[in-house]
Amino acid sequence: MAVYEVFLKPEGKDGYRHAGAIDAADDELALVLAREAYARRAEGARLWVVDRRHIVEGDAEFVGPNADKPHRHHDGAAVAARRKIQREAAGPDEPAP
Amino acid sequence: MTETTAPIGMVEYLLAFADDEHLMGQQHTEWIGVAPFLEEDLAFSSIGQDELGHAVQLYELVLELDGTEATDEAIDGLAYRRPAAHYRSSTLAEYVTTDWAEALVRHWLYDTVEELRWQLVVDSAHQPLADVAARARREESFHRRHADALLDPLLRSTDSRSRLLTALDSVGPHLPSLLDAPSGERGAVTIGAASAPLASVGPEVATAIETRFDRAVPEPWTTPATAGRTQRDPGFGALMARMLEVLDFDPDATW
Repeated sequence: MAVYEVFLKPEGKDGYRHAGAIDAADDELALVLAREAYARRAEGARLWVVDRRHIVEGDAEFVGPNADKPHRHHDGAAVAARRKIQREAAGPDEPAP
Repeated sequence: MTETTAPIGMVEYLLAFADDEHLMGQQHTEWIGVAPFLEEDLAFSSIGQDELGHAVQLYELVLELDGTEATDEAIDGLAYRRPAAHYRSSTLAEYVTTDWAEALVRHWLYDTVEELRWQLVVDSAHQPLADVAARARREESFHRRHADALLDPLLRSTDSRSRLLTALDSVGPHLPSLLDAPSGERGAVTIGAASAPLASVGPEVATAIETRFDRAVPEPWTTPATAGRTQRDPGFGALMARMLEVLDFDPDATW
């Protein structure tokens, strides 16, 4: 038996999402069992099963250092914070004429 | 009774199919919690549910021919409350086993025949039956695929192969009962409700068994019984009693 990771894709534009895992003797049995274990209530329109041994993993130590690089985020938070400071330093807006 | 163009034998013909589906579905679902592994618990019971769904649809067709409204009570009446002698199920679906190898071989054999059985009515002149067949066939191809997916690796291993062949020897002798024609079958074929008697699939089933198990099929297995499905397997009483246990516990309960 091997462990297979199961992915489901709903109808439409959404991509595959991890649904869970399953024990199976081979690829075909994994597909057949995953269909009933994870998609019997129409949870997805398409199904992937992947033998876990075929997954190439980057562990936390490898990926982790990227968690501490706010300068790579471009959500505008830093700019918004700087502009707020400038607005407050400039005092209240002048009333419209 | 309302007017119907179908002869009365059509009821018997449909009941034979419905009863098989009902009992087979029931016996498959009884493996929930005790199948060899969790995933198979789910898959086998889920397939059993499909068979129960087919049974409901076929019982509905019976009630329709009878001019009776297909309420839950009326369907339960057909499924659970007829005298044993009135059932038209095959002993293949009736006999009880606690052996997983037998349950699996029976699942494969029953679904192999069932797939062919639906094909006989997919162009039925009785339109409601053709409609039910169209949907059921899609499910059946999955049922066979499930059974094959389990049998493929198991038949490759010496120990499990020998257990499966022993099981086949227990299940095979019930095949004649499955191919046995209920009294309405000839009439159903005459009016085009079915394209041929179920016994006509015998040779194809024999070939399928030989291909699947790499083993010769004894001729009696594909020689249809001639009891008209009027005789019950010794296990029928106990099976029915088990099914009625909860229903009879509180007959007035609303489900």
